[in-house]
Amino acid sequence: MRLLAAELVDSREILPGQWIQAFHAPHLANGSRAGQFVHVRPGDWSGLVLRRPFSINTADPASGIVTIHFRTIGRGTEWFTRLRAGDAIDMLGPLGRPFEVDPRSRHLLLVAGGLGMAGVRMLADEAIRDGREVTLLFGAASAREVYPSSLLPDEVEYVVATDDGSMGHAGFVTELVPEYEAWADQAFACGPQPMLAALARLAATRRGRMGVAKLGRKRGGGKMDPVGSPAARRKAFLQVSMEQNMGCAVGACLGCVVMSSSGTPQRVCREGPVFSAEEIAWEAGW
Amino acid sequence: MKAKKRVVTSADRAPVRRRTPTVRRVKSAFVTPTPAQARPRASVPAPTATAAELAVLDAIDLSVDLGRGLMLENPILVASGTFGYGVEYGEVVDVQRLGAICCKGTTLRPRIGNVTPRVTETPAGMLNSIGLQNPGVDAVVERYTPIWQGWRTAVIVNVAGESVADYVEVVRRLDGVPGVAGIELNISCPNVGKGGIQFAIDAEAAASVTAAVRRVTDLPLLVKLSPNVADVRPIARAIADAGADALTAVNTLSGIAVAPSRRKPLLGNVYGGLSGPAIKPVALRVVYEVAQVVDIPIVAIGGVTDLADVLDYLAVGAVAVQVGTAIFADPTLPVRLIDELAAACLERGFDSYRPLIGTALPSRPGPPSAKGVEYRP
Repeated sequence: MRLLAAELVDSREILPGQWIQAFHAPHLANGSRAGQFVHVRPGDWSGLVLRRPFSINTADPASGIVTIHFRTIGRGTEWFTRLRAGDAIDMLGPLGRPFEVDPRSRHLLLVAGGLGMAGVRMLADEAIRDGREVTLLFGAASAREVYPSSLLPDEVEYVVATDDGSMGHAGFVTELVPEYEAWADQAFACGPQPMLAALARLAATRRGRMGVAKLGRKRGGGKMDPVGSPAARRKAFLQVSMEQNMGCAVGACLGCVVMSSSGTPQRVCREGPVFSAEEIAWEAGW
Repeated sequence: MKAKKRVVTSADRAPVRRRTPTVRRVKSAFVTPTPAQARPRASVPAPTATAAELAVLDAIDLSVDLGRGLMLENPILVASGTFGYGVEYGEVVDVQRLGAICCKGTTLRPRIGNVTPRVTETPAGMLNSIGLQNPGVDAVVERYTPIWQGWRTAVIVNVAGESVADYVEVVRRLDGVPGVAGIELNISCPNVGKGGIQFAIDAEAAASVTAAVRRVTDLPLLVKLSPNVADVRPIARAIADAGADALTAVNTLSGIAVAPSRRKPLLGNVYGGLSGPAIKPVALRVVYEVAQVVDIPIVAIGGVTDLADVLDYLAVGAVAVQVGTAIFADPTLPVRLIDELAAACLERGFDSYRPLIGTALPSRPGPPSAKGVEYRP
């Protein structure tokens, strides 16, 4: 975690109201992993008192460029869209804990809903670089909000679902998952909470539905890793990247918690934003 | 289940270890001078001060006595709830330079806090309703006080409770623990049903909890006032008379926000506490009023975002300020304010910041003349 000045290199509106901005920040580009985020300070200081958290969308160590992907929803995000190339902004990062990919996993299933693309986008890059196969299921309200495939690596199998059926599968993206879950070794998701909860329900019953008998040997040799540790998350089938209103983003203010299945609130900024699906108490209504 | 044994056939060959694929760090072949390095950073001024200038700044006396031996090196504190337990910001902030740290509100038993959403931004401020999530006083003592012990910076533990007995028990457990420099009684948390707000809105109740805590500890005792009252002066006076060493003014203002759907309030707890620049005028008014009725030091808090805010609070009678919400946007602000305050003193030709205190208060009537005192009615 470091406080650094990042210079805007490129900014464009990829979809109506959705922007991707590229910043020159070598420390972030080299030192961050998929799933981590940055906390960015809007320069419009008249009345804005909080930073804005953004997933690191892509990071290119060679050029030192990181990108963020966001929707304009208020004064803070609108301020970002008015930045010009060369403007420097204040970033705190990298923050949070990354996705944990099991070294044995060959097939990764990524599931993104809407802006959730920003949460899993970098994992696709990392996985392909490590020689894994990636299928990315993407859900949006309609065709005009579908993430352009030109912004994805060629190696990714990209499957789209839209709520109104204007492109790809008509319905929720979660309906596509059963087709791929036998193929997938691990799944990673980011999106609206109902989508993640539905995926968590699928993941919890996956073995039973696929008829996989639980034999004596557990994955990992029967040794139990502490809940929430990187090793435990690596063994989970589904990891999710959670979202919550955030204050400090370093774990001091306790504003951005989600309820865990153990009954203790977990900080999205510190223990998360990535959690294994069974760590979260989905029915708690937090 | 036994782990598979690996047989090493030749002595000089290290066993082949399976490695998890990690992020490959690709170093760029050439280094272009980045414009980001060339230009001065927007928010953090470059350290242009020379060693000589720094020595002059060091010579300015910023130390402050909050009573009962709580001597702070400078009057810039960080507010409870915005700085965790002092460890969260890690390398980003030089914790050792701060005047003091007020830690997250601590209760007798662990609390899980309120349902989410817990924070939201509002015009020039933010609403929070964390609900006093904390691991309980015993866990705080066990986990954090050994760390605090090694710090130059004083740590003031913010204590909350539901009853007088709760406050007394928490303070009893903190009393004498190395690393705990003082107590800040949070009798004004607006975000929990029984967060003690009932103590802050009634002079008698405020005095009774202060007195009860005073009896069990010799630690310096600060009491945090609530702005959610009609007149804060009798309450402040009662707390001072009950044995508090200093007052903190003020806690957050109670408020609500509405969800974007307009179908329910935004915060999970409905009510939240408003902080940030939006409440500065209110906090200034409270400090101004309280400073005229009590003789104990006042630590001001509410929307401090730059040196001008610090000077304003000092002018209305505060001896120190806490920085809160502004830390979220700029974690380095408190440390910078220390240097800026010293520079402001230097510029005015003061060797201490004390001449800045109370300059905007109405001049008090002088001590009564000894002449003819026997004729006074």
